[in-house]
Amino acid sequence: MSETILKAMNISKQYGNHKALDKVSFEIKRGMIYGLIGENGAGKSTFMRVIMGLITVDEGNMELFGETDRKGLQRARRRMGQSIETPGLYPDLTARENLRVQAANGGVSEREIDHLLELMKLEHSGKKKAKNFSLGMRQRLAIASTLITNPEFLVLDEPTNGLDPAGIVEMREIIHRLVTQRGITVLLSSHLLDELSQIATHYGILHHGKLIKELSKEELAREARQYIELETTEVQRAVTVLDELGIRDYEVKNQHEVNIFERLDDVATINRSLVKADVDVLRIGTTRQKLEDYFLNLTGGKTHA
Amino acid sequence: MLNLLTAEQIKLKRSKKLLIVFSILVFFPIFQALNSQMMVDHGKELNQVVDTVINGATGILMIDKNGLTILLVMSAFISFFIGEEFQNGTIRNALSLGRSRLHYYLSKFVIAAVVSLLGVLVMTILGMISFTTIFGFGEIPEVGNYVSYAFESFSTLYLLILANVSIYVMISFITKNSGIALIWSFLYTIATGFLPDIFQQTEHFKELTYWFTETFLFYFNFADPGHIARFPEMIVVSILTIVISSTIGILFFKRTDIK
Repeated sequence: MSETILKAMNISKQYGNHKALDKVSFEIKRGMIYGLIGENGAGKSTFMRVIMGLITVDEGNMELFGETDRKGLQRARRRMGQSIETPGLYPDLTARENLRVQAANGGVSEREIDHLLELMKLEHSGKKKAKNFSLGMRQRLAIASTLITNPEFLVLDEPTNGLDPAGIVEMREIIHRLVTQRGITVLLSSHLLDELSQIATHYGILHHGKLIKELSKEELAREARQYIELETTEVQRAVTVLDELGIRDYEVKNQHEVNIFERLDDVATINRSLVKADVDVLRIGTTRQKLEDYFLNLTGGKTHA
Repeated sequence: MLNLLTAEQIKLKRSKKLLIVFSILVFFPIFQALNSQMMVDHGKELNQVVDTVINGATGILMIDKNGLTILLVMSAFISFFIGEEFQNGTIRNALSLGRSRLHYYLSKFVIAAVVSLLGVLVMTILGMISFTTIFGFGEIPEVGNYVSYAFESFSTLYLLILANVSIYVMISFITKNSGIALIWSFLYTIATGFLPDIFQQTEHFKELTYWFTETFLFYFNFADPGHIARFPEMIVVSILTIVISSTIGILFFKRTDIK
């Protein structure tokens, strides 16, 4: 069984009358990419701050790398790296100088700096100050900064926040590389389940400070139901064909779209039957229930994830 | 703690704010020497009690002459130096690596102390050189052993400044914002500059007058033998101020949630 990196037990934190975290418990094992998902204000950043020792908790305990007492947790945090919310960078320093500061903070050598600048594609940033970096560059520098101390466990809060699509893909690749090449365990958060689903191996869903669901990638795939999406100009006739085929579990979405929830491996047969019956098929194929819809169903539906 | 100090050193090497601090502290003694020369040329006679520094020997009292300027410059520097760490989120970088808050606080205090020491040293040395060049080295009446006096007065004056630096550090850690820290530090400096005078005129608060370092810095003549005799009292008040403000600052910081 793989080693437990983080174990949170009944963590609670209250700000005035607002419960930011309400008895949150979960476990992260070595090698996991744990995606923490929740709408804005669900408690993701608060929880990450608790892990990093930046805020105190009102209730609950935590175990990091097997350490539970205050001194032990402090020691354990030296094996971690974080980038919570906005990248914590010195705006008047260059990428290299920012990394030098973090190397000094961590008491490690500066040997890795060149390699990390290269890894994060910042080797040509030269004398450009961090305040003049694009958001993507700043995010990459923030991750480089967390890596300078050679962490075993990375905590990344919304690392793709504000990035353009290319930047999001690039960030995803970077995280993948860190996990596969360096064997780093990652806890990352997002308010977009679709985005997390492309990288995380495990998920925890936070809602109003409570962990309402935990599931693995496989469980998510099962729960986020698959279906056949059919687009046609003649819905009425298409429905007749489906009835003739004995298909009962379907949903007419509008005048052009029908979602079929059974015989998912039989797309070719359904398509053939529709064509034989002279139904114009504009599009047919297996698709997945939108993860965001799944998330909304879980959290009560109204709040936008 | 040494690691944190090394990190601070890297940050300060590129700090424009530090450059501004030193520029001001370099400019003032030279300007004041030239200004004194101009006043003398226009028939004014320099008076040590009023002008504080009148020759090279009294140049050791540059801190006394520029007390308010030094305090305002240092309060601004410290407010930004600490406040920006909270505002930029860079404070998380050190603390999330398991660095203790006590060490973090002390590293900031040590840096503020070193910067203020270097600043007042530069100011004093330049003051002594420029005033000696223009007015000669001269002497301080009733001071027999100048070297010993210079060491004692400089150390005492620096401690008085350091006590205020400690207050500014505490304010910055409590407010967690450079702008707000700047306002409170400024208010503190101005208020404690005026309060002693007000206290002196009351029956009940009279005794409080000499528990403020500004009383000595703004209202005492460091070339006066009567006031020189009160150096030990100034040192005690300064040390107490440093200990109390640092304790309060550290306790607050330890309970602070870092955003």
